Amino acid sequence: MIGTQLALVKREVWEHRSLYVVPAVLALVVTLTTITGQVAVSSFGQQIDIAILGASNLGETERSAALNVFMLSMSWIFVLTMGIMTTFYALDALYAERKDKSILFWRSLPVTDAETVVSKLLTAVVLIPAVTFAVIAATHLLVLVISSAWISMRGAEGWSMIWSAVPLFDNWMATLISLIALSIWVSPFVGWFLFVSAFAKRSPFLFAFLPLIVLPMLERILIGSNVFFETMVSRAPFAVPIIKSFSEDSLDFDSEEQLLELAQSGVSLLSVIDVGRFLSSPGVWLGLVVCGVFSAAAIYVRRYRDES
Amino acid sequence: MASLVEARGVTKTFGSLRAVDNVSFDIEKGRIMGLIGPNGAGKTTLLKALLGLTDCEGSLSVLGLDPFRQRRELMQNICFIADVAVLPRWLRVNQLLDFVEAVHPGFTRKRAEQLLGETRIPARAKVRELSKGMVTQLHLSIITAVDAKLLVLDEPTLGLDIIFRKEFYRNLLNDYFDDERTILITTHQVEEIENLLTDVMFINNGRIVLDASMESLPERYVELLTSGEAVERAREMKPIFEREVFGKKVLTFEDVSRTSLESLGEIRTPDIADLFVAKVKGEAA
Repeated sequence: MIGTQLALVKREVWEHRSLYVVPAVLALVVTLTTITGQVAVSSFGQQIDIAILGASNLGETERSAALNVFMLSMSWIFVLTMGIMTTFYALDALYAERKDKSILFWRSLPVTDAETVVSKLLTAVVLIPAVTFAVIAATHLLVLVISSAWISMRGAEGWSMIWSAVPLFDNWMATLISLIALSIWVSPFVGWFLFVSAFAKRSPFLFAFLPLIVLPMLERILIGSNVFFETMVSRAPFAVPIIKSFSEDSLDFDSEEQLLELAQSGVSLLSVIDVGRFLSSPGVWLGLVVCGVFSAAAIYVRRYRDES
Repeated sequence: MASLVEARGVTKTFGSLRAVDNVSFDIEKGRIMGLIGPNGAGKTTLLKALLGLTDCEGSLSVLGLDPFRQRRELMQNICFIADVAVLPRWLRVNQLLDFVEAVHPGFTRKRAEQLLGETRIPARAKVRELSKGMVTQLHLSIITAVDAKLLVLDEPTLGLDIIFRKEFYRNLLNDYFDDERTILITTHQVEEIENLLTDVMFINNGRIVLDASMESLPERYVELLTSGEAVERAREMKPIFEREVFGKKVLTFEDVSRTSLESLGEIRTPDIADLFVAKVKGEAA
């Protein structure tokens, strides 16, 4: 069972090399951008040295917060890419094998259709986020090492300045939890894409997105309501209920106490993550059910549709 | 022991079309059965039913399993090569071996590597870099290394040149076939497999028009070459088909004794292709 799943997921990576090539290239681009940026600002010689001197006078908490934001600013581009990759992968997963007519070969082996579809689902919701996380962490380390070296070259204590303050655990744990939550949150879309890729005779992309655009319009015109559209928006990737929700009055930033509290926490990312809120959100569980239904439909189509 | 394949009243309809129409037959272990029929005769549909790729009415048992409902178990003991089941072009030869080894309990990697060593296929080549003949060689090597009880071949040599075709069948007999294994094969190039087969089955319009062992054919079927007024006398003996070759009449007879025809002209055993035409066209007439 597990051996078969491993082989099937490996198979997906062989076929979709972009799953690791794209994040790797992106990591390279981000790293190169950092180096280029550092070389570029080097021309501001004195100002930079003053800035570094200023930074070294900052407390560890402030430096830690700055580094957290710095790392976060690198992560988001990988997460965005992950979304695009997942979409393209899921739409291709069960479509390519029909297009290149290899489906009958795959089906000539003792692997059930359910095992195959599950392997593709796992690739989309486990493997892609895992690769994304690994590449994010590797890029962080690489960029931090380069930055330390650069600051040291400018005569400051670059290594101790960065590595004594860098909130690796906080940032990475928060990223990992968010990625897991995100892939669970968007799983109904992944299920829908897999179903479309198993079902569509051609252009699965169009088939997948057209209903998401046309149905809300039809609903608006025919019924005059916006339920579908609002559901989609509330379901959007950025709306994942993993961030601590502040109640109305606590969002009141006039209360200096709260601002102070936030600043003193060193803007810990883990402190704003709320796993309880995520797990108790009915939308999360409903989404998993929807994902399951679409995946089952994809299995059914692969199993029962006679293609020729 | 029961037959390897047992079909009783198998029927598959698409709308009003009866692609396979109440078909019954058996395939015994250790045989090489040729399934021969014109395009659209229902060959592929029948094969699909045997492989559990499509559901059908009637009772069908392959290796004692219901092919449609017990596909996974079935695929551990069946292999198939079909012209429509192509190997994915992005796959590397060694990846293919890795994958089959991981998912197929009956696969012996060493055997596959040994067979591939006899070909000119590089271990790290992608399928897209191989010629069509090599892809078929690769597929056959994989399948030969699987300990399968039944091999189904659907037009396995379509589009290959004569050298690869001959080699394919030679390898099939030498490396794959033994008393424990059974082959079911369909092809248009009947002449090439004729002396390979132990049994033959003709299918036309979804029905089986002939199901016989190769040894029994000379006893049951005879061709008479004749001309002139002997033709009329021969026609009285109810040939199933009649054609003309170089001004001579060729009449095909079913279950008519050779001795009664010998006086009318030259007699011989029809080859499969001619017999096929006689049965299919004769039935239509």
